[in-house]
Amino acid sequence: MIQLFHVSKYYDRRLALSDVTLEIEKGEFVLLMGPSGAGKSTLLKLLIGAERPEEGQILVQGRSLAKLRSSEIPLLRRKIGVVLQDFRLLPKKTVFDNVSLPLLVQGASTVEIRRKVTDALRSVGLDHKKDLFPPGLSTGEQQRICIARAIVNGPIMLLADEPTGNLDPELTSEIIELFKSINARGTTIIVATHDPNVLAQVNRRVITLDQGKVVSQEQVSS
Amino acid sequence: MRRLLYLLREAVANVLTNRTTTVVAVATTAFTFACVGVFLLLYVNLRSMASSLEQDIQVMVYLQDDLTEQTRSEIELQLKADRAVGSLTFVSKERALADFQSQFPAESHLLQGLGQNPLPASFVVTLAVESRSSDAMRRWANRAQSIPGVAQVQYNQEWVEALAGIVRYIEVAAIIVGIILSAASVTIIANTIRLALYSRREEIEILGLIGASTTFIRVPYLLEGAALGFLGSALSLVILKAGFELFRHEIRSASRFLGVDALLTFFPFQMCVALVCVGLFLGCAGSFLSLLRFGEGRA
Repeated sequence: MIQLFHVSKYYDRRLALSDVTLEIEKGEFVLLMGPSGAGKSTLLKLLIGAERPEEGQILVQGRSLAKLRSSEIPLLRRKIGVVLQDFRLLPKKTVFDNVSLPLLVQGASTVEIRRKVTDALRSVGLDHKKDLFPPGLSTGEQQRICIARAIVNGPIMLLADEPTGNLDPELTSEIIELFKSINARGTTIIVATHDPNVLAQVNRRVITLDQGKVVSQEQVSS
Repeated sequence: MRRLLYLLREAVANVLTNRTTTVVAVATTAFTFACVGVFLLLYVNLRSMASSLEQDIQVMVYLQDDLTEQTRSEIELQLKADRAVGSLTFVSKERALADFQSQFPAESHLLQGLGQNPLPASFVVTLAVESRSSDAMRRWANRAQSIPGVAQVQYNQEWVEALAGIVRYIEVAAIIVGIILSAASVTIIANTIRLALYSRREEIEILGLIGASTTFIRVPYLLEGAALGFLGSALSLVILKAGFELFRHEIRSASRFLGVDALLTFFPFQMCVALVCVGLFLGCAGSFLSLLRFGEGRA
């Protein structure tokens, strides 16, 4: 589903990714491991079209991202759920409104929005908090709302950048379990993390990056 | 429908979030538009006065004293045949004297000492509507002056030409001031929108991440700019109308300007609508400029 061929990315001549070639199948759960500055976030940014590589080619569902016009990038992003370390929830909107945003931008009907948002909130166990505002929720709840927003429109893949960076080990386990259940429904999941707690709980493929290079790819069993 | 409601709600939220900035932007835009409006109002009124004066102006065609009745009739026929002439009245020497005596009774003794009537016979000509501009009037006067038997052609040329000149200057000034102040309004609104964009940049980034199109992200800010332009121009009309009424009241109170207040006119309804539309458009333009500079949607 995702193919990278000899992808390199520079920021002001500083190498962020170097000659990365890898393939991720549909329905896989992949961990991108590596220290800060290894290129994990850059790789995720390339996959959502937020950055373009200087060299190489990226294919998502057989389509080259380099050939996407600017107006097509939002369409690509509608197929991808994104979870970030700092949640990026809108504090002045209710949980329901936050989760409904991806559907709203696609022009979904009110009935569809209500049904899908309720389903997404139920799947993260927070449907009873739909009328609250994010600042009134715990950190773990905010991250789960962020996940609900990422999956509400049934994306083909979910990208998470350090999703447990702000969470304690117990909450980390909760979030990982959530990712596993989403993955079990067929969504490809790519988690960028340097948190060993995540690695310990996931017996999936691990791609390790260091200084912009893929240094290993292995199947890990917890 | 929900999407439209969302966009409208966001535009209102933008306005409410930056209440102080919005109020300052609307007030500044209103005063800027009002400045342009003063020039426009001056232009509209002077133009209307000029055209009203042009309509009232009569051209006096004075005849030589020694003309025969036949020559006078020929001149009258020639004038009547002229397309530029709307109507004409003959004023004989005797009638001119009688008019002078009735209009200036205190000065009538001045003429008694002269023995004979020094006032010439004349035709009082009112020109056709299409020939009442200062240029057309000057051309016609030159033509009439060349008719044999005509001693002199007079009209309030200086007044008409001075007024036409002033109207022209005001027109140019209104255009220049209008352009400069419109640019100022666009800048003010653009800065307000830029503040709104910066205060909500995180939200814009999130919208970009979840696949919102550029249009979806831009519309609330364009609506906000349009609302600011609309409110600013509408408020400027209120300020202008209030100022105009106050000025008219003062003019009415001052007895020496008796009747002048009736000549003053405010913008017609269509022009008010046009000014508000211009404000709305400039507001959109300001937003658009800010959005271009901000470069949203590329998170």
